[in-house]
Amino acid sequence: MTENAIITIENLNKHFKSGDLLSKVLKDINLEIERGECIVLKGVSGSGKTTLLSIMGGLDRPSSGKVLVEGESISKLPDLHISHFRAQKIGMIFQHFNLFDHLTATENVMIPLIPARLSMDEVDQKVHSSLKLANISHKAESTAGRLSGGEKQRVAIARALVSDPAIILCDEPTANLDRDNSLKFIEILGQLHEMGKTIVVATHDPLFDTLSFANRVVPMEDGSLVGSISKGLQ
Amino acid sequence: MRNSPFFHFLTLEFFKERKKHMGVIAISLVILFLLSSVLFISSSIRYSLEQTLDQEPDFVVQRIQGGERVSVPTEWMDRLLEIHGISSVTARVYGRYFFKSKEKSFLIVGVDFMDEQSHKALRTIMDEVDLREFLKGDNMLVGGGVSHYLKSHFYPKGYTFLTPKGAFKKVHLFKVLPRESNLIANDMIIVPIELAQEIFGMNEEEVSDITFNVPNDDEWANVEDKISSFHYDLRVITKNDIKKAYENLYNYKGGIFLILFLITIVTFVLILYQRYSMVYSSERRHIGLLRALGWSINDVLKLKFFETMMVVIVAYILGVGLAYLYVFVLGAPLLREIFLGGANLHNVITLVPVLNFGILSSIFLIYAVPFVSAVLIPVWKIAVTDPKEAML
Amino acid sequence: MSEILLSNQVIVYLLSESILFGLLLIAFIITLEILIKWDFGSYSEQQFRLERRAYLVMTILLFVFVVKFLLLIYFVFAIDSLSLLVPGAMCAAGVISANDYGMLLLLLKLLILFFLLLWMAINRYDLQAKNYPLFRIKSWLFVSIFLVIAIETGVDFAYFGHIDTLEPVNCCSTLYGQLEGANPLPFGLNTMILLILFYLLYVAVMASALSSQRVSFMVALLLFVFIAYYSVVYFFGTYIYELPTHNCPFCMLQKEYYYVGYLVWGALFVGTYLGLISSVMEIGLKVERNRERMVALALLSIFVLLCTGFVAIYYLRNGVFL
Ligand SMILES: Nc1ncnc2c1ncn2[C@@H]1O[C@H](COP(=O)(O)OP(=O)(O)OP(=O)(O)O)[C@@H](O)[C@H]1O
Ligand SMILES: [Mg+2]
Repeated sequence: MTENAIITIENLNKHFKSGDLLSKVLKDINLEIERGECIVLKGVSGSGKTTLLSIMGGLDRPSSGKVLVEGESISKLPDLHISHFRAQKIGMIFQHFNLFDHLTATENVMIPLIPARLSMDEVDQKVHSSLKLANISHKAESTAGRLSGGEKQRVAIARALVSDPAIILCDEPTANLDRDNSLKFIEILGQLHEMGKTIVVATHDPLFDTLSFANRVVPMEDGSLVGSISKGLQ
Repeated sequence: MRNSPFFHFLTLEFFKERKKHMGVIAISLVILFLLSSVLFISSSIRYSLEQTLDQEPDFVVQRIQGGERVSVPTEWMDRLLEIHGISSVTARVYGRYFFKSKEKSFLIVGVDFMDEQSHKALRTIMDEVDLREFLKGDNMLVGGGVSHYLKSHFYPKGYTFLTPKGAFKKVHLFKVLPRESNLIANDMIIVPIELAQEIFGMNEEEVSDITFNVPNDDEWANVEDKISSFHYDLRVITKNDIKKAYENLYNYKGGIFLILFLITIVTFVLILYQRYSMVYSSERRHIGLLRALGWSINDVLKLKFFETMMVVIVAYILGVGLAYLYVFVLGAPLLREIFLGGANLHNVITLVPVLNFGILSSIFLIYAVPFVSAVLIPVWKIAVTDPKEAML
Repeated sequence: MSEILLSNQVIVYLLSESILFGLLLIAFIITLEILIKWDFGSYSEQQFRLERRAYLVMTILLFVFVVKFLLLIYFVFAIDSLSLLVPGAMCAAGVISANDYGMLLLLLKLLILFFLLLWMAINRYDLQAKNYPLFRIKSWLFVSIFLVIAIETGVDFAYFGHIDTLEPVNCCSTLYGQLEGANPLPFGLNTMILLILFYLLYVAVMASALSSQRVSFMVALLLFVFIAYYSVVYFFGTYIYELPTHNCPFCMLQKEYYYVGYLVWGALFVGTYLGLISSVMEIGLKVERNRERMVALALLSIFVLLCTGFVAIYYLRNGVFL
């Protein structure tokens, strides 16, 4: 394990049982991600990107193997701790935006902060600066359901950033965006990279192939990582 | 509240899910309303009864022969008067007089208007009657129900009784008793003692029973023992015995209702369980997303707990409030018949508002405990939704 | 069916107790499964399912605790109002002694509340650790609590099913009174020594708590409840009733005395519970529980102030002691 590693994955396996059928979705994955790195997981549909991302983010548990984040194993933490871990360390950006459509942008961004028992003022202040960072302050009081795809994505980014996590996980972030909005998204991602966030993007969007700031592209195939193209730290 | 993000979010969620909550609140309301109304009516009646019973004489002496009540010789009165600590010894003659049709009956009570009455209510009634005028002829005081009945059967001025000896006895209606006494005096006719004896065909040395008061509570047991030993076929009844009998009767009626209510509660629980178990996939996603964003199972449980409590409390306040209006302001139309029905003359009484910790807490417990128990497991099930649900 | 079983409050009470028992049965079955199959190191789906089910047990126990607490108050209240139906009973004391089950039931209730509270304290600590270190202790504790509650529920029905409404009972004047001149106090104490003990033990409780002497705190606390119970019944109570011969732990729960009994006994018992729990956690599990102990001290102080207050107010008003 490298000293600077923020995420270390060792011999990770994940299989799903449905009846007698055992489907191996992740096979013997070993991966080390350094602090501040930006990694692109590339693979066709069904190759296991989402599953791997869920396990990294503490949303799912491995069937065997180890996932260490900042040196601590997260795969057997009791719920209280794994939830705390998700709230503190992980910013999640989902494929379908996953906003609460009936709430305003501000209220959506507030959600990850609620369990932390902060005062309304502290929450307001964090939400405000996060919206600003994602460049969506002007829509703060709009209902999420009425926003355009690009705006929704930016609210989702603001929500992922609001508790200032070290790691940002994005699952197919541009799947529901047009080219313009995808480029804008990549621009924001670049800013986050500059802020020192560790970023993992799972995608099959070719736009990410030419990402100027990505350190590594890790191709996935049928549940395994097949080599990696390192671009070196910039 | 305003300063807590949690409660802010809670109210937003509650408002969003209001359709779902409305349904549950509506069912709860019906159940709470029925239950509270029944309990309000029965406790109000019980309260009025207690009030009236307080007016009753402390002791009643009867004579029992062969298990039947027979008339008491008036000489017993003299022996009672000798006992220390006894006051207001009064002889009474009373019995049921069946009206022509044999369906309805009056309770005729004969009192000696010259004695000091041991019955406090009678005492007050008599204070308002011009005794001289009353005793001049054959007059009677009647309860509200009797007056109503006589009027509707074209006897507005009086009634002619048929005595067991086959003679007719015409009695004038002197005055109608005040409405407040209707719970006990509704079907009552009060006449001078001699007149009652005549109507029932008794001779002058006989009365139905003798009543008296014992002002010092500590003496009650003592007096009861002493008098019981007077005569082998003498029976003493104290006011407490009557109180208990009524208490049992109304507990019994209320108890029957509660058991009916239990059946309703079971249905209610099943409906709730159904409703809360019917977790739409959208709600699973919803909770899964909260979990993915860092909410722990405890946090979701807390959210759901407050949501449930809001439903419970809103329904409780509304249900009890509506029942209060229905029973004490509107006078509980329809439902009162079940409680007061069975009385043989039409009865008009006012339900006195009675609201105490016992009733309110009983209603709350019997409603909230089954409610929360029914939704506990469904709520837990939704709270442990996997966070990866949000990724699908 | 006896008229006692048909009284509204008894029906409500028994129904609630039965429902709680049903829920506890579910929790009990899950706990047995957990005790048998638990393997924290495993990544199996079964283990994760058990961890989720443990939350159901927790939810049920929390609910049961809250309702049992409310039901204790309701129980005392119901019993008090039953005194109308039971001949000779003037307050709850008479009804509770209407048969042999009553006092047992009350003691069981107090015990169960204590252990439920202890369970929750342990559970809280257990959830905050990263590997459920106390789950076995906690599960066995629950198994025992469940068994006691099973007995309690049985005694509930036995008690209310066996109250005779014809047979007169003794009430507080005979049960707690000193009619025969016999000394009702334990160890032949007299009132003066009882009071000295009362205040001395209170000081001992405070002192040992503040100087963090855990074992002596626990011992002092246990002695204090014991002495406090007798002090209230035989001394402070008489000032609440303003009648030197009225010795009863129950009458003060009535409206005539502004329900002050709920406050007096509530402060004493909750204070003692929290104090004991902090000691058990600290001695047995080596966990700091300062907050509970401080709340306990506050409640016990309120209790002592309240008791003393009644005497003081009586003296100020009348210029004499009873
Ligand atoms: N809960 C589950 N039960 C059974 N199989 C599952 C489950 N979740 C995922 N899978 C299977 O695991 C495989 C990988 O799924 P995953 O969602 O990780 O792929 P992906 O690379 O993200 O694909 P896409 O690009 O379409 O999002 C798929 O074959 C899927 O069917
Ligand atoms: Mg995917």
